[in-house]
Amino acid sequence: MMTRVLTLLAALLVFAMPAAAQTGGPLRIEITEGVIEPLPFANPDFVAENAAAAELARQIARVVSEDLTGTGLFREIPASAFISQITSFNSPVQFSDWRAINAQALISGAVSVGGDGSVSVKFRLYDVFAGQELGDGLQFNGTQAGWRRIAHKVADAVYSRITGEGGYFDSRVVYVAEAGTKDDRRKRLAIMDYDGANVQYLTDSNAIVLAPRFSPNGDRILYTSYESGFPRIYVMDVASVGRRALPTLEGDMSFAPRFAPDGNTVVYSLTTGGNTDIYRMDITSGAATRLTSTPAIETAPSFSPDGSRIVFESDRSGSQQLYIMGANGGEPQRISFGQGRYGTPVWSPRGDLIAFTKQSKGRFHIGVMRTDGSEERLLTASFLDEGPTWSPNGRVIMFTRETQGATGSASLYSVDISGRNLKQIRTEGGASDPAWSPLQR
Amino acid sequence: MRIGYYISGAGHIGLILLVLFGGMFNTPPQSFEVTEVSVISGAEFDAMMQGVQTPDVTTDVAMPAPDLPAEQAPPVESQPDPTPPPPAPQVTEAPETDPVPQQPDPLPQQTEAEVSDEAPVIAPPPQEEVVLSPTISDRPVPRPSERVAPEPVAPPEPDTQVSDAVTEEVVPDEAAEVVREETEGGAPEEATTRIVTEAMEEPSAAPTTSVRPRTRPARPEPVAETPPADPAPEAAPEQQAQEQPEAQPDQTADAVNDALRQALEGGAASPAAGGQSGPPMTSGERDALRVAVQQCWNVGSLSSEALRTTVVVAVSMTEDGKPQSESLRMLGFEGGTEAAARQAFESARRAIIRCGANGFSLPRDKYDQWREIEMTFNPENMRIR
Repeated sequence: MMTRVLTLLAALLVFAMPAAAQTGGPLRIEITEGVIEPLPFANPDFVAENAAAAELARQIARVVSEDLTGTGLFREIPASAFISQITSFNSPVQFSDWRAINAQALISGAVSVGGDGSVSVKFRLYDVFAGQELGDGLQFNGTQAGWRRIAHKVADAVYSRITGEGGYFDSRVVYVAEAGTKDDRRKRLAIMDYDGANVQYLTDSNAIVLAPRFSPNGDRILYTSYESGFPRIYVMDVASVGRRALPTLEGDMSFAPRFAPDGNTVVYSLTTGGNTDIYRMDITSGAATRLTSTPAIETAPSFSPDGSRIVFESDRSGSQQLYIMGANGGEPQRISFGQGRYGTPVWSPRGDLIAFTKQSKGRFHIGVMRTDGSEERLLTASFLDEGPTWSPNGRVIMFTRETQGATGSASLYSVDISGRNLKQIRTEGGASDPAWSPLQR
Repeated sequence: MRIGYYISGAGHIGLILLVLFGGMFNTPPQSFEVTEVSVISGAEFDAMMQGVQTPDVTTDVAMPAPDLPAEQAPPVESQPDPTPPPPAPQVTEAPETDPVPQQPDPLPQQTEAEVSDEAPVIAPPPQEEVVLSPTISDRPVPRPSERVAPEPVAPPEPDTQVSDAVTEEVVPDEAAEVVREETEGGAPEEATTRIVTEAMEEPSAAPTTSVRPRTRPARPEPVAETPPADPAPEAAPEQQAQEQPEAQPDQTADAVNDALRQALEGGAASPAAGGQSGPPMTSGERDALRVAVQQCWNVGSLSSEALRTTVVVAVSMTEDGKPQSESLRMLGFEGGTEAAARQAFESARRAIIRCGANGFSLPRDKYDQWREIEMTFNPENMRIR
């Protein structure tokens, strides 16, 4: 009874003092739910500032758009929907026209070609609904032969300004190009732009090559070759295509190499006397140090970005699982505990995630987990997915997918770490074992 | 004299033993098959043998007997039709260059048709309907969609324009009393409530998660409408707590005390004159504004760090419910770097401007309540999608 009286009294007080109830200050609301969808943007053909730049202006704008839409985070508004056009790089933008077609970002660019064949590309990015420019205008200079790189750099800048994280378009991928049938497959090293353009072959197909890996600054490539009859690690200079084998004892098999972040140390697997363990080697002196020493098979080591830890796979527990140990060895800590077998772990360039291959219930998956093994997420599922590699910004994973059957072939796919935007990378013929380079300088 | 007894006793004992164990050493009689034999006469045997040869004879019987008188022949059996009818051209699709002979000679004709150049159209045999019992449940697999939103949206009709709200298509109608402007119908873009990866698309025999209905927004009590005295954003949980449908009896006293305290504090904090007027915003009105903004808050292009950053954005509103773009500003942020906060703010700014372009649905009579709005954009829930 007393409670009811008090309640009534409170209600009377509230209604009796409307001014008191309406305290001064703004209305406050909290938004905790949003949407995840591609951001619509408009990218009219860049303005050609001279006649020689006309075709290039169109091509560069197209590559920029393909880069952005290829991420799955952006959606280009077709030119047929444009109300106004960009005819001059410095003319004011009619934001209302772009708002009307729901363009949330607008790219305006211009291209000029110099008499010496040099190319100059400049662009501006606008937040249409805010009616203002996002960042300052930028200009890139290069050669006509390198126009795709310029376009990738423009796209990287746009991507970075909108998302707040680094881009990955001006990067390359080294992989194993495959030809022939499954029982007569010829393999050679190839390098291409991240989007499949500008393919170059680095080796011939006389010997089987495996698992190429970029150095931290992208100037060298580690790979495994059966040239000598045994798997052996080679290091190749990308510019000169010169190569040399890392020192190993006769009869030993070395494979699965990967650079440390310092670029001078290599971590790899060595099979000697029938036992496979992980070693590290100073690439200059050739001095090797054994990091693991168990009768189990331990391979696929990968450094953390700070170089302090190594993740690798081992069957020391009876099944193939992931472990982390210090950069100088020591007692490893198991991080994978789910059902199935885990392999080919790769540390994200951001350091927060580890990508891996998982085999479970007859299917292969590419997945990611935290460095402590928590929050495991499987991103793909197919007959055979394996060998993940990270984009330079740690947002995308590329991997090998092989189809089933005698006529099956390997190809490269990429997927966002959210599991969205799974797509095939265009390559000439079969392709496997991709390794993503850092951003080019 | 006792010899007789002895002989008699021995004889009896022997007889008893013979009865008890007499059969032990005898081999059991072997089983044998019994075949019944019947005796038949020679005439019966001849008749029976004629019956065995009946098939041959029957063939002859089927043929018309030339020496049989016509009046004795059965009318039906007298129609000799030993050969099948000639195949129809439509069935065999025999070429025209291979005409069907007039004389009925079915067997050669059939052979001709089978070796014709054109393959005959053979009617497919009736398929057996096999019904397999499903081994897995028919639980619908989550449909991947480009758009992830708080509420799932079915894919719109192919010809429907994508818009933020559902609009009815208006077509010319001469019989209508009121002429309405012709417009195309619109519907929101297809959306799902979570990111569907390829690994999730495997059909499962049992649901792994259940869709729980959202709790119905509580009808606000007048007390709960009192704005909190503390202007800090942290007041939101307290506000939510006030919007509970019914307080438990043991919590009533606390709720009353809180209400009294807030009412009194609010009175003390309110301006003496010229303060906000009009009735307070209801919970439904607040929710309508919140839903309107969240429909345009696209976090898909935000970096991981920006998705860990909560920003507070202030905006001044015009009386027709439109945000004043130049008034948009970030009051503060929490959880990320300044660069990440800037990305998060830009995303929030786009949401407010884009969805407020036509004016938010806000009560005009309460303009003083929403003249200034502070929106806290917390992407925590969006990180786990």
